[in-house]
Amino acid sequence: MTQAPASDPTIEERVRLEIERTIQRSIKGLEYVASGDPAVGLTPKDVIYSRGTLKLYHYRPMADEVYRVPVLLVMSLVSKPYILDLTPGQSLVEFLLKRGFDVFMIDWGAPRTEDKRLRLEDYVLDFIPDCIARVRETSGEPDVSVVGYCMGGILASMYASLHPDGPTKNLVCFTTPVNMDGMTLMRQWCDRRYFDVDRIVDTLGNVPPELLSASFDMLRPISQAVGRIRLWDNMWNDEFVKSHRMFDRWANDQIPFPGECFRQTTRELMWENKLYKGRFELAGRRVDLGTIRVPFLHVMAEHDHIVPYEAARVLVPMVGSEDKRELVIKGGHVSLVAGGNAIYRLWPQLDSWLAERSV
Amino acid sequence: MAPGKTQADPLEMWREWVGNSERQWNAFLNNAMATHEFSQTLGRLMDVYLNMQKSMNDVMGRYFTALNIPTRSDVVALGERLTLIEERLGNIESALAPRPSDPALTGIPAALSPPRTRKPPAR
Repeated sequence: MTQAPASDPTIEERVRLEIERTIQRSIKGLEYVASGDPAVGLTPKDVIYSRGTLKLYHYRPMADEVYRVPVLLVMSLVSKPYILDLTPGQSLVEFLLKRGFDVFMIDWGAPRTEDKRLRLEDYVLDFIPDCIARVRETSGEPDVSVVGYCMGGILASMYASLHPDGPTKNLVCFTTPVNMDGMTLMRQWCDRRYFDVDRIVDTLGNVPPELLSASFDMLRPISQAVGRIRLWDNMWNDEFVKSHRMFDRWANDQIPFPGECFRQTTRELMWENKLYKGRFELAGRRVDLGTIRVPFLHVMAEHDHIVPYEAARVLVPMVGSEDKRELVIKGGHVSLVAGGNAIYRLWPQLDSWLAERSV
Repeated sequence: MAPGKTQADPLEMWREWVGNSERQWNAFLNNAMATHEFSQTLGRLMDVYLNMQKSMNDVMGRYFTALNIPTRSDVVALGERLTLIEERLGNIESALAPRPSDPALTGIPAALSPPRTRKPPAR
């Protein structure tokens, strides 16, 4: 009798494997319920500056020799920054350090009730320039590469646009929405006829993270339930479970959106699409993305349900740099920057693009 | 079925079915949610939520005042004053800041700071 090839197990082998996995699922399912959240954000770092809830981290070097230009990571206002530093081996920060970059990160922290007055002006014209000044002081270098993720990309682009002669050496955006007409569902749900943003901000102050999480979940209404089924199916697989727990923890660990900033974003960016139309102003200064002249890289995810390609693709054509590149990578909004997909797809490309421009 | 397979794997078929169903249901529900009626319903739900929040805030505020206990807005006002003090302290700290190469600022002893001379690998 000839044996079936390894890729085509016999029915007996399949049954045996499934029985083993069922037993493992039960044992590991109990472990899953009993154990706490996985530790994240473990890469050694120092807080070199803090201001209110803002913290500026400087990660400890992991290479004997680093590139001249430091890298500053700018996070979104609605999510915690540890998605870029999940765990050793799955941390973009750790990867960059090992590849010889001097890495800093702005952690906005969870806004306090009194932070409801913060506007985009505060972030773009005060906090980011303040942090960049600290990065320059600490590194002793005159210029900085700025990397923004999602809404952090909007903030970084606005900063670069309003400081064309400033210290930005390179600008990298990950999945950054500019044309809000492309945010089809979000825009529909924020229809100004039914969505009373003034009342929300006036009543709640900061927008609670539960509302933000619910709106993100509604973009893929079935996926959370299917995620539970997949978790159970893969409960025998330690790597899958570990990864699932970290992403699940991050997805459920949103932070409030500062009220005035939410009002401004909804009215001027979402409803009137002013950034795309070139009519957006901060403190009376027009934000023209065409004034960005530094080397620019925009990385988008092929299956991004939060920031669809239509919303993000206009950024590269709008930026005035001669050295600019658009990169569309297989994956979703989160798997673009973290997890196995990112390790093999985004990170090496980011490393080679930045390395050439960081001397 | 994956190429090269001669026997159907029911579990693999089930996984494929789950993946396809997820895509189809998400697409179906996204279409249903991309309507004015849905946005209108969301708006109404939000109104109910905000009314409840406002009523609760008002009632709790009156309750705490009657019990002579600080209300949320009192605590927030204190927080704002504390933030102002923190900011002023921060400004004083900045004015007295050590030199950038000072390990107290960078967190890294100067001797351990790697040279900034790295070059990209040759292509």
